[in-house]
Amino acid sequence: MKRSIDNTIVLMKILDDLTIKDGISDGFPILLGYFSTAVAFGLICRNINITFFSAVLMSATSVAGSGQFLAINLYSTGTFIVELFISVMLINFRYVFMGMSINNKLDKDISFLQRCLVAFITTDEVFSVASLRNQNLNFKYVFSMQLTAYTGWVVGTGIGYVIGTVLPQSLQAAMGVTLYAMFASLWASEVRKDGFPILSIGLISAAINSFLVCICELSAGWSFVIAMVSASWIGSYIVKRKN
Amino acid sequence: MNSEPKSIMLVVLVSAIATAIPRFIPYFSKYINKLPDWVTEKLALLPIAALGALIFPFVILDFPTVWFAGLCGVGAAFFLGFLKQNMIVSIIASIMVTYAILII
Repeated sequence: MKRSIDNTIVLMKILDDLTIKDGISDGFPILLGYFSTAVAFGLICRNINITFFSAVLMSATSVAGSGQFLAINLYSTGTFIVELFISVMLINFRYVFMGMSINNKLDKDISFLQRCLVAFITTDEVFSVASLRNQNLNFKYVFSMQLTAYTGWVVGTGIGYVIGTVLPQSLQAAMGVTLYAMFASLWASEVRKDGFPILSIGLISAAINSFLVCICELSAGWSFVIAMVSASWIGSYIVKRKN
Repeated sequence: MNSEPKSIMLVVLVSAIATAIPRFIPYFSKYINKLPDWVTEKLALLPIAALGALIFPFVILDFPTVWFAGLCGVGAAFFLGFLKQNMIVSIIASIMVTYAILII
């Protein structure tokens, strides 16, 4: 009897204390996933002729897949900085909800600096992996996982840029499709998971954006914001009807 | 294409700030927990809604010589992405399709 109580206590202790090792092993699959996306980002940066330093610096300071692709895309279409700011913030707004969830599970005695570090590398994947651990999260676990993922993102960007540099000149024109291919592949994997509503939301925003850019001749940044917001508005009714 | 170092640095900075704000809000604000459901459900769809607008119409406008070159490339990437291919595989296939159409 006493023994089983002891065992239970030991078990609870293991469950309580996530280690740096747990963090690294949980972060490693994220590192691999980020690496290939980051290579794509590096390639695109090379393709639109921004410097190696800026590309890596952007990955190191933003650490945001779709947000960065969006920023680079708007930059290459010559968008004003205010539109860029609003667009990037809107696309990243989901981090508010993810942060809320992680924050609730985080140890309460965490310091201000530690809180800032965890907040800085909040991403979709970090959020879902941390959520899968159905327990209290300590700083060393979360941050070592984040740092592992972060490494994949930053190093991948550098390597992608170098790959872009050594590619033959004749491929350069076709390389213009890279960014769109990356969005299409993201979209397709979401469609595979959630089906028709996701496909239709994308098509609606594509239609609105094409209308605003080609017919109304609105600037790329504002038409993007309008298309994105109105498609997700319409989309919420499509999702509701399906459920 | 515009590639002055000054303006790309501004883009890097603005992108970093615009990404950090939503990340820091939940850790330092007590009020954000009370957003109404109808706002939350729409915000959750924003990244999906962004994708369509990120592809169209520029995937067509960027290839003025052969208008469907990029479109076919994107089609290939979508198809492979749907079949659960790695993103790099989809992108490389997409570049190859676009390249083939441009040189024909």
